[in-house]
Amino acid sequence: MPVIVCHALKGGAGTTFMAAHVAMALSESGAEVTMLTMARRDSLPLHFGLQPALTLPSLYAPTEDAVVAAGIDLRSHVRAAEDPDFIPSLRDLGFLETGMDRVLVMDVPAGDTTFARTVVPHSCAHLCVVNATPDTLALTPQALDEATPENLLRTSFVINALDETRRLSRHAAAFIRELVGPRLLGRVRLDESVPEAIASLQPLSRYAPSSAALSDARAVGAALLPMLDRPGKPWTARGPQSASSASRAA
Amino acid sequence: MRIDARHLLDRLGRNDFAYKEFEDRFTELELWPMFEALLRDPRLQMLDAAEGMTPSAPKEEVTHVAPAEPFGALFNRYGRSGEDAESPPSERRGAQPQDVRAMLRHLSDLGSRGEI
Repeated sequence: MPVIVCHALKGGAGTTFMAAHVAMALSESGAEVTMLTMARRDSLPLHFGLQPALTLPSLYAPTEDAVVAAGIDLRSHVRAAEDPDFIPSLRDLGFLETGMDRVLVMDVPAGDTTFARTVVPHSCAHLCVVNATPDTLALTPQALDEATPENLLRTSFVINALDETRRLSRHAAAFIRELVGPRLLGRVRLDESVPEAIASLQPLSRYAPSSAALSDARAVGAALLPMLDRPGKPWTARGPQSASSASRAA
Repeated sequence: MRIDARHLLDRLGRNDFAYKEFEDRFTELELWPMFEALLRDPRLQMLDAAEGMTPSAPKEEVTHVAPAEPFGALFNRYGRSGEDAESPPSERRGAQPQDVRAMLRHLSDLGSRGEI
């Protein structure tokens, strides 16, 4: 099972939004997706149109306790960073070894940098979510300095919440684009539909099907697909999910 | 006016909206000292450690084929002339500290070609 780690340089970059929509894009591409959040204060369910009071089941909870939205099995493991058996547990649960059409998307809080460094070597891709803002740019040297070369090789970037009507935002985005080159998978435009969908307790795809952010996030998900390949073993999906399956958001 | 904007206004039946394209003026990038400071940050040069490294298999089952050009080379190219920027990454190793003006020229060229 390919593992994708979503982690940002700093909090508030929109990592959970990106992770949720990458998971949805992969699911729509035919993958059987499990999504795992490590955030103690978790907003993941909101991106699936779920109730804010919902608590996601543990990674180790039985299937009958599963919360499935948009065809994605949503799980939580808030103590993963302190769990020395986390990686072996993933293996025992079959997340690292089973079907090629299965994908695990992890949403790792920005503050858990040590944990992110630990888990990225087990992934096929690390999606680093950044904002085109000066404070994010200022953190870049430190973050890159702390990363191991091996982890950097797995790292791709996405610019989230890009406001192209602002001069500094455009310039910062251009700077990032030049800085990371082909590692930039795309950008997601700032879109008021995103918070509006959350406030409406609807997934973005239902609240605003023509949302610019939704379109951009799907493109990022599509750009991630080639990274699911293993040498000699191309990743293969079962085929696009049916509309009924894709609209199972609770 | 962009064609998609024209179509949208046509669909809305409104032709009295003010329309403005936010064109990038890359020369204005020079107004931001942070960009220059970042390009000169020695910690970014340490990324050369990743240069030439072959991506190893993940510790479990998964392998990711990484882009061929390492971070160090990406940063180094800002300090090279236009011809050097065309050379392969391996030939750009050891480039001198970055020249922000060269980067801005490059950005400006990309902008004029509509590639950015």
